[in-house]
Amino acid sequence: MKPRYALLGLATIGMVYGFSWATRMPGDAVQGESARIISVHVPTAWLAFLAFGMTAVFGIAWLVTKHARADHLAAASAEVGVLFTGLALITGMIWGKATWGIAWDWGDARLASTAMMFFVYLGYLALRRATPDPTQRARRSAVLGAIGALQVPLVYFSVNIWRTLHQTQSVRPDGASMPTETLISMLVNLAAFTILYLGLLVWRADQLRFEEARLAQTHLTPNAGAAVIPPKLQPGS
Amino acid sequence: MTFRKQAMIILRRDLRIEGRSGEAMFITVPFGLVALFLIPLALPLNTELLSTIGPGMFWVVTLLFGMFITFRQSAAESSAQKEQLRMLGTDPAARFTGRAAASAILLLGFELVVAPTMIVLFAPAAVPGWLAVTPLAILAAAGLAIIGTLAADLTASLRTRSALAPLLVAPLSVPLLVPAAQGMESIRTKNGILIPALFMVAVVLAVAVIGVVTAQPLEETT
Repeated sequence: MKPRYALLGLATIGMVYGFSWATRMPGDAVQGESARIISVHVPTAWLAFLAFGMTAVFGIAWLVTKHARADHLAAASAEVGVLFTGLALITGMIWGKATWGIAWDWGDARLASTAMMFFVYLGYLALRRATPDPTQRARRSAVLGAIGALQVPLVYFSVNIWRTLHQTQSVRPDGASMPTETLISMLVNLAAFTILYLGLLVWRADQLRFEEARLAQTHLTPNAGAAVIPPKLQPGS
Repeated sequence: MTFRKQAMIILRRDLRIEGRSGEAMFITVPFGLVALFLIPLALPLNTELLSTIGPGMFWVVTLLFGMFITFRQSAAESSAQKEQLRMLGTDPAARFTGRAAASAILLLGFELVVAPTMIVLFAPAAVPGWLAVTPLAILAAAGLAIIGTLAADLTASLRTRSALAPLLVAPLSVPLLVPAAQGMESIRTKNGILIPALFMVAVVLAVAVIGVVTAQPLEETT
């Protein structure tokens, strides 16, 4: 069995188990049933940080080793990160609507900074699409990935730096401020979603490798409107 | 030639070219001022509301329109010019530093024109100690100049550059915009600007280090 299928299978089992714990956890005294969304929201937000952090790590690895696999992994990580950041924003808005009464609060530092991080990585993917040459693409996106990673600690600590509407971290070294069932559901899903990230990362990186190899084989360049080169005339033709 | 001397030569060259073309001062500054004139037209004519949003609009206009200063045509070098600088043995990091410094000076000029206009048009509450905005303005100009120069290098020679570069710079400028706006609010409420200013210093230093370290690999792309 290919590793990616094993990872995706393991992630599915983990999520089923995690969500079963989510149905068992008690409703929150203040937030009611809406608090169950923590089982999805926290893992997706964690993956947003992890994916963008790994984009920078793989990008720097490419700058050091010039190994194409590192670039494919960086690109795959950014794509998966954009997906999970989008999910974290959507689930956060659903939770905010149920708890705060509004889906979006401009004064909330975590919401605004997460949205900006999302746009940084949309820019990253746009830069990749705009650069046809594989080496240039890898180099430019590696640099942007490193700059973009500066946003990750900013977003993570935004709830501590600017005390706005968003709650601070529920799980800290000195303990967790939540019931055990909620914590188990969250941690199991955190592990399952991380495995899902790894599966998607390997899968997408393989796809990118195949796409690049196919383009190289067929001598196609992905930039539409490239110059048409006239055929070389052979002597005597 | 030392790093500093190389950077100074590039800085002087960029400012001289800008002095000849006037691209930033005659195009980007009026463009930013138009934005300041447009905002009140799109809002209900409420003097109190305008005086509240005025300082925030100053930073938004500085970051959104000021970035065009870092992308100005005079800052872009042709492949031949780059090749010549490379053959002369110019350090890519010095080139980056010189260009970013030139953009920072021009951005400060932009802020100097936009700020009085904002005060006249939006009439924010006069508070003693407005001079404390100066370090925030310098840090914002320096940070934006570095991010803009990096984005210009990242998108060099791309067909989609004019749209892509602002997409990269705008969200990356948020760590500058938020503390700058907070610092302005701190001045209004007579609190210190030390924390926002230190935060901006950290951001400027981080992007400056990335810019200098990646100048060599980025030069290889073009």
